[in-house]
Parts: sequence; structure tokens; C-alpha cells
Amino acid sequence: MIRRLTARPEALVPVVALPVVLIVFLCTPLVSGRALTTFDVFNTFQGLAQLGLLTLGLGLTMIAGEFDLSVAGTYALGGMLAVQTGQSSAVLGVVLAAGAGAAIGAVQGGLIARLRIPSLPVTLATYIALLGLTSAMSGGLSVTYDNSGATLWIDHPIADIFSVPSLVTLAAFAVAAVIFGGTRLGREVRAIGGDRRASRVAGVRVARRLVGLFTVSGTLAALGGALFSYSYASANPNPGLQPLILAAVGCLVGGVSLVGGRGRPAGLLAGALSVALLGQVDAITAIPDYYTELLYAALLGVIVAIDAPGLRRGLDRLRARALTTRVPARHD
Amino acid sequence: MTAADNDHRPAPAPDIPAGAVPAYQASADTSAQAASAGGRAPGRRRTDPLDIGIVVVVLAVIVTGALTTRFFSLANARAILASTAWVGITAIGATVVMIAGSAVSLAVSQTATVVAMIFLATQQFGLAAAIVLALLSGVAMTALQGAVIGFWAANPIAWTIAAGFAIGGVATWISGGTTVYPQVAAFSGLNDTPLGLPLAVYVLLAGTAAAEWFLRRTTAGRHMYLIGENPAAARAAGLPVGRVTVIAWAIFGACIALTGVFLAAFNTSANAGLGGTLSLDAIAAVLVGGTAIGGGKGSALRTLGGALLISAISDLLLLRGFSTGIQLLVKGILVLFVVIAVHVRAARGRG
Repeated sequence: MIRRLTARPEALVPVVALPVVLIVFLCTPLVSGRALTTFDVFNTFQGLAQLGLLTLGLGLTMIAGEFDLSVAGTYALGGMLAVQTGQSSAVLGVVLAAGAGAAIGAVQGGLIARLRIPSLPVTLATYIALLGLTSAMSGGLSVTYDNSGATLWIDHPIADIFSVPSLVTLAAFAVAAVIFGGTRLGREVRAIGGDRRASRVAGVRVARRLVGLFTVSGTLAALGGALFSYSYASANPNPGLQPLILAAVGCLVGGVSLVGGRGRPAGLLAGALSVALLGQVDAITAIPDYYTELLYAALLGVIVAIDAPGLRRGLDRLRARALTTRVPARHD
Repeated sequence: MTAADNDHRPAPAPDIPAGAVPAYQASADTSAQAASAGGRAPGRRRTDPLDIGIVVVVLAVIVTGALTTRFFSLANARAILASTAWVGITAIGATVVMIAGSAVSLAVSQTATVVAMIFLATQQFGLAAAIVLALLSGVAMTALQGAVIGFWAANPIAWTIAAGFAIGGVATWISGGTTVYPQVAAFSGLNDTPLGLPLAVYVLLAGTAAAEWFLRRTTAGRHMYLIGENPAAARAAGLPVGRVTVIAWAIFGACIALTGVFLAAFNTSANAGLGGTLSLDAIAAVLVGGTAIGGGKGSALRTLGGALLISAISDLLLLRGFSTGIQLLVKGILVLFVVIAVHVRAARGRG
């Protein structure tokens, strides 16, 4: 077990990161001088709800070796659509937002899978177009959500620490984990990310799986945006790249590799939870923003270094040299 | 199978670039790119979906422009050129990096912001010194990112996100999160408009020419196409992949720094939001120019064309009274359209 983990350092990242962040979180009373309450835990899960669905969607495409930058646009559109169409019925708004997200994801997945276009430029173009669409829908202004009944209901604490959005987020992770662990789908998606040609030759329906993954990531992003804007009772036409970047941090901390082929939903949950905990640590200790930025930079830097094939090649060479000098007969 | 596993055996087929290149960045048509690397043989030019599409778009702009009052006027041409200049200068650098196979940088906005702050904070040393310091800082910050990508094959997206956090964080730390104002305004000459055009437009045109010459006529420039085409093969062939990648990023850094200098001079102060959406605007211009995200193809001249086309369309929509939202929407659809056309062309070349 230990040897397996040290051979694959990226699998260690979520296993180490989450406890470390948790310890930092538990130590915050030393700085703030105030004991942690269940409300802090509630807020952490609220933070998880903001990022979690985005992280899950982005992470699933990353495991398959793709990168869905458009989730940031779908997130904005989902929030705007839910607020504008859900003034009378919140459920209708969420359903429409999720449907739009699914359609956007399916179209992109179709382009990427059938025409074999790299996902980065396609999803970047979609991101720009969706930001434009969202801005055009609202005239470039924030739109408030006047259905105060829905806003109050969506954020009422359940069992002290949960709320509707955080339970939805946790449920989405649970469903993803069950499907990934219990069916062939998980292995197929990892195979697509690891070696697409080989997986195609082995009989994996690559195009169909990719369309499905992008549909899921679009749906999750739009759903996340909808829940977020209900919770804040307003929709912002341009939330910027920040949600995407935090979700990407969550994925990378969650043990997903940008090269593809690695990662699982449980790791993604650990990654998203780590980012949410860090956000809560900031809020409790009121440290300046730039500390957080530098912390994220350092965290990502370590992960990128672990993930970098060139660095890994160099380390492998060193390890091989060490092995051959100790055990001359063996070659790595 | 991980990338590290891949490296120990010969690449099974030419269209699987061994090692670092993930699928979202490596097009499935690497072998087609090999056939058309640099410039294809002049006799082989058949109907090209990209060229047809671009001609259609340009014709549509011209026809709609002719029906729009004030679109074809000298003042409007100046406005289009002026609005192209800032993003265009950065896009030229982004083209070089994309050709060299490093895809994109998401740290551009932060770098331009920090360069602008440095430029304004050093005004008292004179304009020349401030520009030199700004360029040096831009080149240093960006070349450092390129070194990690070139020598260690780090993933450009994750690494530049990290670099963006670091640069933004350090900038806020040092500036205390406030707006930077210059002590003296030595930069006012940069806002001159000789012959009615902002100085930045001339810098953009000169930069495009210089980058085009560099990419076509120098050894390092030719190496960039080869490395972008297939990094594993370039490494196996003994090309200095790391060094050339650093050069590409250093050029990118100089371009970002120039944009930062002009942004600073125009705004006369710099805060954390100065860079705005520069990262994505530059990528959009490069992609509309038809440069392939996987590397190995493209040119600075085409990027200039892409940037001008985006500006012209935005200007046209503005004159016809459409909101910024619609302008963004059209820009996104244009980028998507060009990306699809570029890859349909590559796929046809393969078949």
C-alpha cells in the first residue's frame, strides 16, 4: 500500500492535503481567539456548495484528459437563467438552468468527440460566448432574486451544519462515486484520459463517453450557478474566472492530473472540501487576501511539480541510478 | 497508463505525442500537422474551409459596414486600430508561445498589472529607465514560468494559474492593495498620436513584423515550430527544447510588459483590476488568427489579422447599437467557428 502510494505521489495529494487543511482549520481559534462553532462548519459546507459541483464537473472531464473551461460560463448562465425564469417557481428556474447546461455540454462534447477538436479552444470560445449571452440577458447588470421564500428555504440549516445546496453537492459526489466505483464507467473514463487510442481499440465508446461527460459537467456547472445565485438572491452576469480557478485548484488538490487518466470522485470531494476549508480559515482569521493567493500559488506549484513529466523523468533517473548502484543486477 | 510509463517505450503511433501533451491540447491530427508544418507546398492549396470561412466573415463585415453610417471613415479606422493595439501586442507574444507548444498562459492579466505598477512607481527615474525596468520585470516573470514549462514539461494551464496567484499575491502584498500613482508623469509622451494613431499601434505593427521575421528567419524561430509540432521528437532530435521554450516565453513577457506600459500610461494609475480580461482576449485573437492550440502552426501576421477582425466586428456591433454582451457573444461564436474550421482543415489534410 505504502509503496503504491509513494510510486504515485499524486494519489497522496488529497490524502495529505485534506488532513493538513483540517488541522489548520481546527487551529484557527489560536489566531481568532474564538472557539469554533457549528456555524463555522455550516459555512464550510456552504463554501463546498459554491465550488463543489463546478469541481466535480471540471474534474470528471479532466480525468478523461479534457479541460472544460466553459464551466465558468455555464455557471454564470445557470445563475442568471435560474434567477430570471425562477421568480415565481424556484424549481422551474433550476430545471431550466440545468437543462440549458446539459444542452451546452452536449453540443460541446459532440464537437470535441466527433470532430476530435482539442477541448481547450472549444470550451474557451464557448466561455466567451456564454459570458456574452449572460450579459446580454441581463443588460450587463446584476439581477436580484425577489422570491424571498425560496432564498430563505434554500439556506435554512439542516441538522445544524448542512443546507439544501450543500446536501445536493454531497449527493452529487456520492452518486458520482458509486457510478465510478461500481460500474465499468470509472475505468473507461480513466482509460480514455490515459490512452485514448488504446481505449478505443479496447472497445470503449470514446465519443459517447465524452459527450456524456461534457453533458454532466455542463449540467453540474449550471446547477451550481443556479443554487449559488438563489442563495445570494442575485445573479452576477460576470463572476469572472475566480470560480473556475478555485475549482481547478480543488481538482488538482483532489489528485486529478491535467495529463488525464487519474483521479476519482472521492479525491475530488477531498479537494473541494480542502479549498472550502481554506476559504473558511480566511474568513475566521481575517488574514489579508494575498496570503490566500500566495498559499494557493504554493499549493498549485507543489502539485504542478509533482505532475510535471520532465521533473518525474529526472527523479526516475535518479532513483534508477540509486537502485543500480545498490543492486547491480536489477533494472527499473 | 501514465505519462511517465509512456516515456520508456517508443511512441506506438505518430499521433500519440509521448509524454506531456494532454488530449485537450494535443490535437488528434499531429500527423497532419507534420505534413503541413511551416507552410505547405504552394501547389497543394485546394479549397480551404478556413480561408473560405474567413473570406465570408470579412465580406459580411464589409457589406454590413457599408450599410452602417460612419463605419468606413478614417476616424473609425483609427478607432479600430487603436482598440486593437493593447490586446494585439500581447497576442503577438501569445502566438509565439502557442506555436512553441506551450498552449496558453492564464497569468497574463496579473503580469500586465504588476508591470504597469512597476512602470508607474519608477517614473521618477525617467521614461527610458522606467520602460527598461518594466520590460525586464515582465520578461523575468514570464521567462521563469517558461523555464518550468520548458525544462520540466509542467502543465502550462495549472502552472500559469499558480503563477497568476503568486504574481497577484506579491503585488497586493507590496502595494498594500492600493492604487499605484506615479510621482511624476514621465510617460505622457506614450499617449502621443503621431499621424492620428496612438503610439501603441506603431508598436503593434513593428512587433508583428519583428515576430514574423523571428519565427520565419531565425534558428530559434524555426525550432519553435518543430518543438510545438512534436515535443518528444524534438527532444529526441536533440533540439534545445527547454532553452527555446524559455526564449518564446521571454518574448511573450516583453509583449505583455509593453501592453502593461501602455495600459499604465493611458490610465495614469494602476490597481489590481487593470489587467482585466487581457489573458482571454489575447488567446481569442490568436485563435481567430488560425494558430492551432497544439502548437507547430500559425504566424504573428495571422494573429494581427485575427485581432483586427475581432476589433472590427466589435466596432461594427457597437455602431449598430448592440450591447457589450452581444459583442462578447459574437466574439465567442467567431472563435468557435475558426477553431472548428482549423481542425476540419487539419482532418481533411490527414485523409
